[in-house]
Amino acid sequence: MDISSAVIDSLHPLEIKVLTTLGAHQPETVLDSEQLASAAELEPSQFSMAVEWLLAKGLITIQAETVTPVVSLTKIGEEYHQGAAPIERVFGAARDAAGTGKRLTIPDLQTQDGLDPSDVSKAVGRLKKEGVLLIVQGGCIETTGRPSPTVEAIRLLLQQLHDSSCELAEFSEEQRRVIEDYAVKRGNAKEPFRVDERVTRAFMLSPSGASAAEQLMKQGVAEEVSQVTPELLKDGSWRQKRFRKYTISLRPPRVGTGKKHPYREFLDTVKTKLVSMGFQEMRGPLVETEFWNMDALFMPQFHPARDIHDVYFVKQPTHASVIDESVLAHVAQVHQHGAATGSTGWGYSFDIQRAKRLVLRSQGTAVSARTLASSPSIPGKYFSIARCFRYDQVDATHATDFFQVEGIVLGEDINFRTLLGLLNLFAREVAQAKEVKFLPAYFPFTEPSVELHVRHPRLGWMELGGAGLFRPEVTLPLGVTVPVIAWGLGLDRMAMVALGIHDIRELFTDNLELIRTTKGSF
Amino acid sequence: MPTITIYKDDFESLLSGGPSEHRMMPIEELETLLMLVKGELKGYTPETGELRIELQDSNRPDLWCCEGIARQVRIKQQGQLSPYPFLSGKSKSRMQITVKPGMEQVRPYVAACAARGYRVTTEGLAQLIQAQEKLAEIFGHKRKTVSIGIYQLSKIKFPVTYELVKPDEARFTPLGMETVMTLAEMLMVHPKGLEYGAIVSGAGWVPLLRDAAGQPLSFPPIINSREVGEVQVGDDQLFVEVTGTDLSMVVLTLNIFASNLADRGAIIEPVEVQYPMDTSLGKRVKTPLDLGKSKAIRIDTIEQALGQELGAKTVASALETYGYDVRPGKGSVKVKLPLYRQDLMHTMDVVEDVAMSLGYAEFTPVMPAQFTVGGLSDIEQTSDRARELMVGLGFQEIISNILGSPESYSGRMRLDETEWGCMVEVDNVMSLSFSCLRQWILPSLLRVEAASSRAFYPHRLFEAGDVAIPDATHELGSRTDTVLGAMIAHAGAHFSEIHSCLDVLFYYLGKEYSLETVQHPSFLEGRAGQIVVAGRPVGVIGELHPEVLERWQIAMPVVAFDVNLSQLLS
Repeated sequence: MDISSAVIDSLHPLEIKVLTTLGAHQPETVLDSEQLASAAELEPSQFSMAVEWLLAKGLITIQAETVTPVVSLTKIGEEYHQGAAPIERVFGAARDAAGTGKRLTIPDLQTQDGLDPSDVSKAVGRLKKEGVLLIVQGGCIETTGRPSPTVEAIRLLLQQLHDSSCELAEFSEEQRRVIEDYAVKRGNAKEPFRVDERVTRAFMLSPSGASAAEQLMKQGVAEEVSQVTPELLKDGSWRQKRFRKYTISLRPPRVGTGKKHPYREFLDTVKTKLVSMGFQEMRGPLVETEFWNMDALFMPQFHPARDIHDVYFVKQPTHASVIDESVLAHVAQVHQHGAATGSTGWGYSFDIQRAKRLVLRSQGTAVSARTLASSPSIPGKYFSIARCFRYDQVDATHATDFFQVEGIVLGEDINFRTLLGLLNLFAREVAQAKEVKFLPAYFPFTEPSVELHVRHPRLGWMELGGAGLFRPEVTLPLGVTVPVIAWGLGLDRMAMVALGIHDIRELFTDNLELIRTTKGSF
Repeated sequence: MPTITIYKDDFESLLSGGPSEHRMMPIEELETLLMLVKGELKGYTPETGELRIELQDSNRPDLWCCEGIARQVRIKQQGQLSPYPFLSGKSKSRMQITVKPGMEQVRPYVAACAARGYRVTTEGLAQLIQAQEKLAEIFGHKRKTVSIGIYQLSKIKFPVTYELVKPDEARFTPLGMETVMTLAEMLMVHPKGLEYGAIVSGAGWVPLLRDAAGQPLSFPPIINSREVGEVQVGDDQLFVEVTGTDLSMVVLTLNIFASNLADRGAIIEPVEVQYPMDTSLGKRVKTPLDLGKSKAIRIDTIEQALGQELGAKTVASALETYGYDVRPGKGSVKVKLPLYRQDLMHTMDVVEDVAMSLGYAEFTPVMPAQFTVGGLSDIEQTSDRARELMVGLGFQEIISNILGSPESYSGRMRLDETEWGCMVEVDNVMSLSFSCLRQWILPSLLRVEAASSRAFYPHRLFEAGDVAIPDATHELGSRTDTVLGAMIAHAGAHFSEIHSCLDVLFYYLGKEYSLETVQHPSFLEGRAGQIVVAGRPVGVIGELHPEVLERWQIAMPVVAFDVNLSQLLS
């Protein structure tokens, strides 16, 4: 029978040794484990690995299996070998007592160092039965002067079995009885002998194994190595070597990798898309004044969203040292009576101190407001991915600390229809959505305002963002005279789906295993 | 933005103007109609007909009830708003409220009307109570600016007086209680007294509405009398009063209630309020009162803002079918809001109503065509570059909350009472876990390390993100800087290992640096360095102090660095 070279090439050096050892004999020679292992010059563990692999590959067969009882010493047996077995000690003590004429009782023996009461009883019982001990009046032990066959047998066995094991069959019937009586059994682990069943298998090459062995012998001399080494390369000796082929279908060990965080990766793709659409990044501080966070956005100072239950206030310092005086004055006037914006204003008296109150930025629009006030490009497109903070109870859908993706578009050609056009673009580029719906919406700083709903390829209809034209009450006092689109995208739901999570808190998880194994699909 | 409950049946009957033969409306059609009022359907129970609707516009309190939503839809369907007869001005008011001197110190304004001929239904009563609550709570700033009371008209003898009394001088049985009590007692024991008492209890005198027989009607804005102020299904004569601190808001609120009751078939009778002082509307104010002012708006302003040519006719009809009073002019329209609205601050408000009336779907999107150049800020570019390098060095990126606890950012880092332990702290703390902004990144990484001892080692983590560093020289009292933190944890983690990474990072960032020994409590002494670039410290590197690790319950050596990229860049 022929055998493919793939099988031969994938053989491990240990397998080759076993195969060639068997192959060196006459065809159909049967060798048992011991013979084979020693002929192949393999350690027992190496040998058993090689045999298992070869059996699995069907290259060798088991010809016979014999079970041989083998006797060896237990740990206790080794101890008895060093010292003495209890029965030896009991017998010795009795003889000593007879020599010196001392009285010896069972309790005397039981209190002797290192002797277990139950061992003493067993020893005395056995010796009495052998007729070498007598219990006389008063519980005293006396020897009859005869030698004890058991004690002698045990001594011999301990010596013979010390550091090696023997087949049970090699012992005489009497010895076997002693072994039987003093072997570890269920319920009695404290014995000097152990009888194990040694399975000896006899192997023979299978037809394919014979063919493999034949080929291997033909290939002959080329030594097989597992590793290309610098030495092999340097002296060119790799040419005389064969390189074992690996089983490449096995799972590899895990390796730690350098990797971006999946959520950051998601935000990075959004960032890249926005830049590709002509948006310039803008940044702003985490700690903001109420002025930029709200006043500049025409949110009146009595607006409910400015409440102590909606915004985090800073403890120290409580107020900003300065805000640009002229911008502050303009905004204050617009709040009060509209100034030159064509608005009626809110008609209340604006509190300058309140405007300087420091808060944790609660909306990304604060960054847009700052940009409007610092001579932005016209036409211009801006975005920010800003960390914001809300005074919210944390749960699966609310975080106190989150990113807002927001921005503005300034230009002479900005109007309601170009606003819708921009939202169409976002729908296509950011959510890969072809179908959109525009719904009327409300934001304190835009008019008209729109909510963008899109049919996401995987999520179905969802709200993607909100937008509007900044109110003139926002843009004019900040020095911008062209119309401005303000837009914001709500991407957390998309991010959570891309990352396969259901709890918003998991975006910032502390579970390294989860971070390492999450692969975003964007 | 309030979420309200209405009943589909009730809504449909208000649409058709009567309960008899109204049309069953498919729920999809109703959802589309809600676009007219910026409403979103949040829930529908077909068995009861209950609809949960979120109204977005916080400047349109008239829409926070079934009547208001139905009205806006009805006008659209019928073409215009039919004028309310009670505004004709001819009806003489037989009922008066006298405001006594001193009210201007506490809660100066009151407006009221009577409604006869509408027998209150279960749905009608639910809407009345819901509107009362939502308007007082949200529009009226938790009753501070506006609150509303509704009574059985037949039990009231006119004229009613609105006056100040000592809290222990007046007494009545409030709604929700069984016994007579003084106003002072109501402030102390009544749930509404406890909730809203602070609005009026500061001056030592509190407001009281009392009728001609001396019978108290209510203790505004706290609670009505149970005797007079408990309206029930079947009542057909009602008295509505609104008190507050802002006269136009008080009048607007009353107008909304008058319109709602009129829409349900009541005949509204005005009430005249006599003030001892001059108000912006005079000494005698008869309500309901239309406060709307005409505003001339150029058609081309509207067209420009919407980006579409519409023409005066289309604009006029769009506004008329949205409830406006419209007078066409040459190239412009004169518009006035209906009496239940006061949200016209700017022409742009009208522009949005034109768009909503026509429907957003009528406008074809157009791409903004002007060319702009996109790009990232310098610090974002630096941060991205550093992130790439850290990934190349085999580090896993982390992302964390910025808002955290002093315990993690300072306490466990052994930084309390040190210059490194200063942070921006929150004044109105909700939970200690979210009470300050991080001033460096390492605690964010240790947070992950502490939770991940089972993840296979080594751990190489980094995060690049914003921190807030207290800075007295800055106008905001703190700077927002972008900081890169990195750490390595495994059994043999060693200073030189993290130092090698820092070295590579700085080499590719093109910065020369030196390390100077520093005594930093978070690190082992003699194994910590200040990273100095061009003579300025930009970060720290070292082996974390075992006590820090112990406080984080981390049982693995950790070496780390923290580099302020903003400082590196400046």
